Amino acid sequence: MTPGCVITIFLLIGITFVPVGLVCLQASNSVAEIVHRYDIDCVPDAYRRNKQAYIKDSLISKKCIQKVKVQYHMKAPIYVYYELDNFYQNHRRYVKSRSDKQLRHGMKYTDSSCGPLERNNGLPIVPCGLIAWSLFNDTFGFTRGSIGIMVDRKNISWRSDREHKFGKDVYPFNFQNGSLIGGGKLDPDIPLSNQEDLIVWMRAAALPQFRKLYGVIEDDLQADETIDIHITNNYNTYSFGGKKSLVLTTSTWLGGKNDFLGYAYLVTGSASIFLSILFALIHVKIPRPHGDAAYLSWSRKSSN
Amino acid sequence: MSSERPLLDATATTPPTPAAASRLPPSQPEPPVRADHLGFSVEVPDPFRRSRRDNRDQPPDLSASRRELQEGGDCESRAVVVGEPSAEFSGNAIRTAKYSALTFLPRNLFEQFRRLSYVYFLAITVLNQLPQVAVFGRGASVLPLAFVLFVTAVKDAYEDFRRHRSDRRENNRLAAVLAPQTASEFPPKKWKHIRVGDVVRVVSSETLPADMVLLATSDSTGVAHVQTVNLDGETNLKTRYAKQETQLRFSHNGGVGGILHCERPNRNIYGFQAYLEIDGKRVSLGPSNIVLRGCELKNTSWAIGVVVYAGKETKVMLNNSGPPSKRSRLETQLNRETVILSIMLIGMCTTASVLAGIWLLNHRGELEFTQFFREKDYTTGKNYNYYGVGMQIFITFLMAVIVYQVIIPISLYISMEMVRLGQAYFMGADKDLYDKSSRSKFQCRALNINEDLGQIKYVFSDKTGTLTENKMEFQCASIHGVDYSSGKDTRGYSVVVDDLLWTPKVAVRTDPQLFKLLRNGGTNVEGKLVLDFFLALAVCNTIVPLVVDTRDPRQKLIDYQGESPDEQALAYAAASYGIVLVERTSGYVVIDVLGDRQRFDILGLHEFDSDRKRMSVIVGCPDSTVKLYAKGADSSMFGITNKELDSVRATEAHLHKYSSLGLRTLVVGMRELSQPEYEEWQSAYENASTAVLGRGNLLRSVAVNIECNIHILGATGIEDKLQDGVPEAIESLRQAGMKVWILTGDKQETAISIGYSCKLLTNDMTQIVINNNSKESCKKSLEEAIATIKELRVTSTLDTLNPVLSSESAGVVLALIVDGNSLVYILETELQEELFKVATECSVVLCCRVAPLQKAGIVALIKNRTDDMTLAIGDGANDVSMIQMADVGIGISGQEGGQAVMASDFSMGQFRFLVPLLLVHGHWNYQRMGYMILYNFYKNATFVLVLFWYVLYTAFTLTTAISEWSSLLYTVLYTSLPTIVVGILDKDLSKSTLLAYPKLYGSGQRNEKYNLNLFVLNMVEALWQSLVVIYIPYFAYRQSTIDMSSLGDLWALASVIVVNMQLAMDIIRWNWIIHAFVWGTIAATAICLFVIDSIWFLPGYGAIYHLMGTGLFWLLLLIIVAAAMVPHFVIKAFTEHFRPSDIQIAREMEKFEALNQVNRSEIPMRTLS
Repeated sequence: MTPGCVITIFLLIGITFVPVGLVCLQASNSVAEIVHRYDIDCVPDAYRRNKQAYIKDSLISKKCIQKVKVQYHMKAPIYVYYELDNFYQNHRRYVKSRSDKQLRHGMKYTDSSCGPLERNNGLPIVPCGLIAWSLFNDTFGFTRGSIGIMVDRKNISWRSDREHKFGKDVYPFNFQNGSLIGGGKLDPDIPLSNQEDLIVWMRAAALPQFRKLYGVIEDDLQADETIDIHITNNYNTYSFGGKKSLVLTTSTWLGGKNDFLGYAYLVTGSASIFLSILFALIHVKIPRPHGDAAYLSWSRKSSN
Repeated sequence: MSSERPLLDATATTPPTPAAASRLPPSQPEPPVRADHLGFSVEVPDPFRRSRRDNRDQPPDLSASRRELQEGGDCESRAVVVGEPSAEFSGNAIRTAKYSALTFLPRNLFEQFRRLSYVYFLAITVLNQLPQVAVFGRGASVLPLAFVLFVTAVKDAYEDFRRHRSDRRENNRLAAVLAPQTASEFPPKKWKHIRVGDVVRVVSSETLPADMVLLATSDSTGVAHVQTVNLDGETNLKTRYAKQETQLRFSHNGGVGGILHCERPNRNIYGFQAYLEIDGKRVSLGPSNIVLRGCELKNTSWAIGVVVYAGKETKVMLNNSGPPSKRSRLETQLNRETVILSIMLIGMCTTASVLAGIWLLNHRGELEFTQFFREKDYTTGKNYNYYGVGMQIFITFLMAVIVYQVIIPISLYISMEMVRLGQAYFMGADKDLYDKSSRSKFQCRALNINEDLGQIKYVFSDKTGTLTENKMEFQCASIHGVDYSSGKDTRGYSVVVDDLLWTPKVAVRTDPQLFKLLRNGGTNVEGKLVLDFFLALAVCNTIVPLVVDTRDPRQKLIDYQGESPDEQALAYAAASYGIVLVERTSGYVVIDVLGDRQRFDILGLHEFDSDRKRMSVIVGCPDSTVKLYAKGADSSMFGITNKELDSVRATEAHLHKYSSLGLRTLVVGMRELSQPEYEEWQSAYENASTAVLGRGNLLRSVAVNIECNIHILGATGIEDKLQDGVPEAIESLRQAGMKVWILTGDKQETAISIGYSCKLLTNDMTQIVINNNSKESCKKSLEEAIATIKELRVTSTLDTLNPVLSSESAGVVLALIVDGNSLVYILETELQEELFKVATECSVVLCCRVAPLQKAGIVALIKNRTDDMTLAIGDGANDVSMIQMADVGIGISGQEGGQAVMASDFSMGQFRFLVPLLLVHGHWNYQRMGYMILYNFYKNATFVLVLFWYVLYTAFTLTTAISEWSSLLYTVLYTSLPTIVVGILDKDLSKSTLLAYPKLYGSGQRNEKYNLNLFVLNMVEALWQSLVVIYIPYFAYRQSTIDMSSLGDLWALASVIVVNMQLAMDIIRWNWIIHAFVWGTIAATAICLFVIDSIWFLPGYGAIYHLMGTGLFWLLLLIIVAAAMVPHFVIKAFTEHFRPSDIQIAREMEKFEALNQVNRSEIPMRTLS
């Protein structure tokens, strides 16, 4: 490694990374995003102290309307996500509790990997396992004044999952019939390959704070416009201190809003430029002749 | 008749050996007769075991067998009835194979699991089978261990299959065995069916099936020649005799009979004691009457013998233990790092399990209704897979052990073996290590210490055959006080026998004056003395002349075969002066004395032994006088001379001159025996040579009695030629910082002169000589030596004001010369410590007159007291103990034969190959192996840390985002191959640079490539890189829809690229193979990820396809690699700038030279244009 080579490499890294960082930041900034946490606001004041009682009582209406003000102009398509926090979809117990064979081939393939939700009343559960059982079941609707905004709920899951992972002739069976209801129910007449909410839900999130796609709004939203969100607040995150939010966001080539990548590139790039300058200075101020036999340890010793 | 006194008493009482003598290890034999004659046991005991026993009670002396016979008495010996196969003793079938088809699986598994790391691996796998703890799927978790076991088992099975095949071939060979109840029918019989007691007939060039006592041979005198190349590698013929008694019986009626009593089977190749009871007579048998399994009969048309040891009890099989297994320095050091990593592992597992426990405690009340936990199974109403916080902590701990196990890299051991295999191949293929003259290749006999070659600090070298060629050349003679050393004439001399011209194979330069004197000979006194001198040379030896046909039908060559090259040289010298030894049988020799064939009866022969340091023959001359001819070392010969004469003084002066020229000297003497003297001797000799017990001692005392009043005829000087390139090689080794010690059996003057001629000693050195005969004087001289050294040190430090430097660089070079006698008093006593102090201060150490076991003792002196690596190089059986004791043992596969090679770790043809072997291959091996080990630690630590950080985001439940298949393949496939290839192929410096700058070798001696600092640095880099790999994607994907499989794929791919990039940055010499493996591995990883994500029933189905479709993924990969590598690059650049290593500077010089050469070739072109 000659000094020239070191300086050049750092300079090259710097020169490429800083602009990439700037482009990433610009892309992230162009994303308009609305995040609205609703899990507390949607609980009636009377139940604020005992949210569990509220959420478990099926007699209480879970409907809830939230008003959201759009800050920036949002261009279609606008993606609607629900975001859960402190929900460990990557918990070992949880991740393991599913049967991919059953999801594709039906109840004959129910196996013990689904515990503790393998069977109910002696009959196999389809889809079995904790993941399916805990299916997220809040619903969202949007109105601008009194006019509804269309949310496209089709094709929100991966095509590969729909076509190969979830069976076209596997129908839900004996699902959510137990004494403890974990989440949403499934229409037993729709095959699993069409139950897109389930498919989305069953692709376990990597981190405890995650978003899942709910649908796509094909309308632009104008800046300063207020929209109503009609939420049915069914899902129990109160038992473990989870948080629920609704996210509306536009998208770029880089995905959603995230400044981190841009900053990472900027920092790495500028550090490289700094290092290349540092090495250039060292090279000028304290030069070291290359390949000079006089610097070999034994010749240094003898010259002392 | 005083000589008869000890004869038979010896059987009843203790052996007559004086206690003092048995305490001394025998010193190395004198030059003329080499160690092999001694018959010291070749069985080399485990040096460590030996040192623990009290060595003084165990004279390393000679045959343990003799002692056995003495101690155990007759009941311990075996009686063999000649001609009656006995089933009592072990049969002749041999079995070197370890396994049979049935026992292969259990035994091989048992052998494999003796490696601790495999047990660790197995424990982890078993742990993983428990349902509560299972981290990986059952199949997946067994796979790596199964793979490793399978590969090793296949290798073992193949090796064993080859052994089986050779066993079968060996066992089914046919031999002619005397059919019972017949007199002379020898039907063929398979070797495996031969039993002790069988009488076997062997014809010329046949291999002997078992150890047999010769009964008769085709030669009427009972002589048989055997070649022992399979046994000890020596190619010269050895003479064995059938006893006259049995020989005669066979030639008369072919009958057999008699009972043979012999010692129990033992490993001593050169010793055998037995007697044959035949017709009520006891015929004694010794080592010269036994032929051993594996030898070949040569130049004898047939021989008949009775089997005494068969199968696994034969001496060759008993000696077939193979070299002891040594472990390399790096492998031992690696244990320290393994312990550190184990502590890290336990720390990580504890952290994870404690955090998991805390999480469970904090969420205790919520677990039932938490959707992702749900502790109860409502169909049974019981807890599902939940056993309370305490138990959960324990289970988490066990699971953590399984998940993080790879931080201790098991695959490293396999990688190391493969790397060594590759390195061994390239060392063997190196043309610089190939000896054209002997066509011997470099051989790696021990495959596990390649890298030790790069760390040697001490080189212990044998002299004869290692530094020197062991081709003796007669140079000068001093006869009766006159020096004849101006040899010029090389015309040679031939004799005419039956109209054929017989020419000695080697012509020696003759001195014309001496030649003339001899031609006129017999008339004057001087001429008679000269004649006697040459007769002594021709008779007093054990040389067998073999007459070989040449292309010219009228001409034949006389080839002198003998066990000692000195004797050969002397016999050729005598022949060149016209005294040609033509024929030898056990009873007489025929000598052509200047054209006149004369028969001399050999009445008795006193073989060389290390106490007497001489040999003698009693000869019945044609003029019916009886003479004793003796030759031996000057010290021993002058002690038995009759009177002090001027001629003797002159001879002594000549001897001094010869040895200072580096010649090996011998004194030749003669004594005429009167009839009574002869008769007295004869009866004593006969008694002694038929004694079964204590025969050696009896014979020795007979010899001592007769060897007196010797008339000194003269002395000879034989040149021991140095091998090619020895001085240069020693110079290179010394420059490389190695201390070269010469351990030789020669006497002090010869050793010193060889020291000078191979440039080990120079005139500017201060010599410290320790040559004493008692413990006190040894102590005194050692103390004086220490004082001298201190004094020199003080003055030199005053001169240079630099106390750090060793004596060598301070200008005072010390050389230590120690004598074997003194070593007797020093080794194994408290004086050792002082010798060590003196020796380490000296840059050159010469040990002369050392016995084989003393050689090992000297090696142990250094090895046990320092951490420095020792290397021993030698070629003879007397070097075996030293070779096995040293960290690295090298055998010279040259003239002296195979014993040393068989005991060695590496073998090669020439001493000078040590330079390329150590400086080039040793250096490379060490650099690469050290790097490879560290890299393996680093890459596995990086991966484990990546797994660890993720656990912090999974409620500490040890979920891995990286799929289990990728986790398992990481060590096996994703990262293993490039390190192996780099470990085999990378070269930090070119061969020419390494040879030009021997001091570069110091990097290995200073442990520069593998030490704790480097390990810590690697771990810190692993920490940084794991943080980069995990957290850049973490922050980029926070609050997004990213799923576990996608993120896991990114992490896996990023880790693999980062660790491979690290390797790529450290590779010095790229070639296409390295390119293919480094980049190919990254590609293979990507392909594997695609394959894994194409399996529908795995959770990651389709993930990588989605992931790679996003720009974010590629940008992340780029930033991860850049951010992870920048610190490594910076550290590299800084160290190279501020603390450049010698290797780096040398590398830069290499580059500049290459550039300069390009420039130089360009300049003339420019000037032309």
